[in-house]
Amino acid sequence: MNGLAHVLPLVEKPGRYIGGEYNSVEKGWKEAEVRVAFAFPDIYEVGMSHLGLQILYHVVNRRSDALLERVFAPWTDMEGEMRARNLPLFALESRRPVRDFDVLAFTLQYELSFSTVVNMLDLAGIPLWTRDRTGDGPIVIAGGPCAYNPEPLAPFLDAVFLGEGEEGFNHILDAIIQNRGRSREETLVALAAIPGVYVPYFYDVQYLSNGVVSQVVPNRPGVPNRVVKQIIGNLDEAPFPTRPIVPYLGVVHDRAMLEVFRGCTRGCRFCQAGAVYRPVRERNLPTLMEQARELLRNTGYDEISLTSLSTSDYSRIGPLVEGLVNRYAEQKINVALPSLRVDAFSVELAGTVQKVRRSSLTFAPEAGSQRLRDVINKGVTEEDLLAAVGAAFTAGWQRLKLYFMLGLPTETLDDVEEIARLTEGVFAKGREARIPRGRLKVAVSASSFVPKPHTSFQWEPQAPMAELRERQSYLQRRLKGVRGSNFNWHEAETSFLEAVFARGDRRLADVLVRAHALGCRLDGWRECFRYDLWRQAFEDTGINPGDYAYRRYAYTDTLPWDHLDPGIGKQFLILEHRRAMAGETTHDCRRGVCTGCGLCPAFEVEPYTAREPDEPY
Amino acid sequence: MNRIRVAYRQDGPARFVSHLDILRAFERAARRAELPLAYTEGFNPRPRLTFAAPLPVGMTGAQELVDIDLTRDMLPEDLVASLANQMPGGLVVLKGRKVPAGGGALMSLLDRAVYTARGGLNENTPANELDKRIESLLNCGEVFVERRTGKGFKRKDIRPGIRRLVWKSIAGEIEFLMELQSGSRGNVRPDEVFIALAEVLPLQPHRFMVCRTAMLARDGRLLWDC
Repeated sequence: MNGLAHVLPLVEKPGRYIGGEYNSVEKGWKEAEVRVAFAFPDIYEVGMSHLGLQILYHVVNRRSDALLERVFAPWTDMEGEMRARNLPLFALESRRPVRDFDVLAFTLQYELSFSTVVNMLDLAGIPLWTRDRTGDGPIVIAGGPCAYNPEPLAPFLDAVFLGEGEEGFNHILDAIIQNRGRSREETLVALAAIPGVYVPYFYDVQYLSNGVVSQVVPNRPGVPNRVVKQIIGNLDEAPFPTRPIVPYLGVVHDRAMLEVFRGCTRGCRFCQAGAVYRPVRERNLPTLMEQARELLRNTGYDEISLTSLSTSDYSRIGPLVEGLVNRYAEQKINVALPSLRVDAFSVELAGTVQKVRRSSLTFAPEAGSQRLRDVINKGVTEEDLLAAVGAAFTAGWQRLKLYFMLGLPTETLDDVEEIARLTEGVFAKGREARIPRGRLKVAVSASSFVPKPHTSFQWEPQAPMAELRERQSYLQRRLKGVRGSNFNWHEAETSFLEAVFARGDRRLADVLVRAHALGCRLDGWRECFRYDLWRQAFEDTGINPGDYAYRRYAYTDTLPWDHLDPGIGKQFLILEHRRAMAGETTHDCRRGVCTGCGLCPAFEVEPYTAREPDEPY
Repeated sequence: MNRIRVAYRQDGPARFVSHLDILRAFERAARRAELPLAYTEGFNPRPRLTFAAPLPVGMTGAQELVDIDLTRDMLPEDLVASLANQMPGGLVVLKGRKVPAGGGALMSLLDRAVYTARGGLNENTPANELDKRIESLLNCGEVFVERRTGKGFKRKDIRPGIRRLVWKSIAGEIEFLMELQSGSRGNVRPDEVFIALAEVLPLQPHRFMVCRTAMLARDGRLLWDC
């Protein structure tokens, strides 16, 4: 890749494209029987903050017969240079073109990266449509949370893996090695036989006259009707990367990441992660302390982050935090808690790890009124929030962030007004705590609700853009009157597109191809997002995006993702949806009483927590 | 306080790494090596590492310098040995020496730096023509260049900062040798010299490989020895 040396001086942050970071692995090309390019469809700084990448890097590269290299989306300036010079997309370690690899594996973390997947295939010189791929080009596979509805990308993906990749990825690589020399189709047949692997090409989708999917059926024998996700039973024994790559560049999450547990039992009804990552499996305390020690020794980071979907829920969070702080304070190592529950206990934890109150504390009540919080099963009361806020003020914080969602099912303007009222309540609490006027800063952030597959809100339409904008400007006006508050919101257009692709089907592939031809990619970046081009792409392909974002499905409808099974039962989701509409909450199954989501019997597992047998919850 | 001066090479992928990122890479390497690092005071303590001068992105450095402050005495060769295993790609620790902790900071000692820049010309130019054009450039008294900065353009006369500018031909390419003022008393960068050179010679600056080969104090000694 000789041209690269001349290109790098011309682009912003050339460090994105060079590799060579500490703990990166460069293996012999010839010795490997299978070579994987792992693609994160966003730029380096985002992709390198992703723990899943580090896990799979470790899982594959520890095999003697396989290698895995990284590839990220080039920023627009680099893409321009690459296209001008016909430089194909290349992997960072060997700098070989991606099309020379046996497998190109995408991780699908968010819907707005779909156009970047298309762009990366194009930059790699790989035919977009699976049906056009012949010969020995790479098998294109994908995984990650959006794999639970990959339908808009299905015609571009040879295989999709559902679930946790620590074991499944190895099965896929084994099958590719065993089928070396056979035709592409034979290899795909072998892949389709692996639990958790979905080969879209082997399924036909039929539609009703109203546009709804009527059925998705295998088009050849031996292919399962439903593909079920795969999970790791015992997280303590799962491989964990204690020698992660340490980037040169400052990346988004530039710290050691210790995964405390997987899954979440809170049951927030809008949350896809909470649904698809079940069941809860915690790592044991001694395992975590040992992994923390190795991580810090092997990286030199001065901060360790305890990651999970809701870290203060970890059964032994107190001893863990205390243990880490005691052991590493002398080495000036900070402990970071990225996701805090809304309660006083969590604030106390934050106080333990943060001796200096330089940053702000973030809470996510998600909805302003108790009624709406019950609908979404958030399990947070106004008292919880005010207690948490009060504890934060007492502990010395003077800056807070509050996250809300607009456009949640059943939301009215009254619920939006309650957000403003709640914010005023926070300021009242501040006055009570005698924080000087003007010192207290509260940043209120409002995203827009996006209905996601496999959640109890999967049937719900998204609120129309005009309505979302109206609510945003209502809150903006309202919070202008609240001194010290600062309001920001997500653009309705991006949330709309997210909803379209989240609930999309295969017909959207044409839109993706058209949008890409018009220049869409890196849609998660404000400076790249071109809603006008997207509108044109929908128009050109004769597809109405509103049919996807605004449709209210019936329970009896076949959903485009019904053949993909994350283990949570549809009957349970229906029950939860009904409870939501009735304003009824559902408790957290950590407390020992099963809520019947159906996951544990399906996988023959039980939620695993790290608490001692005689320890009360 | 114990201070050890470390000389290192920065090339390969690391030539595209910014100074801030190099600094962080050294901090992390030093922590992995479990050096007895001295930290700055205050709420946000950082290891006390002092670099001579940032290396512009895209350039290699043959002998870059950093002073590392330690809480206890350590043999320089031991420090070098433990640090050497911890460096990321393109950073190679060469040697270390003890320097008095009370001595001046590296950046304040720096007066000028020596660079080589190797690459090809767009069209063949006879040697005497090359000499003539470079000579005329240096003789015109002032050399103004305009460079894009974070906000807008910056115009400055770089002539006083060009202490030496010669060339030789190597294997069909040419190599410039530049000695340029460097540090807090005035700084001329090789890319600024290239802007001026591109006015008089048929060359594309980004096609030249630039290497900082040495850093000098005012009296002409290597900074390493100061």
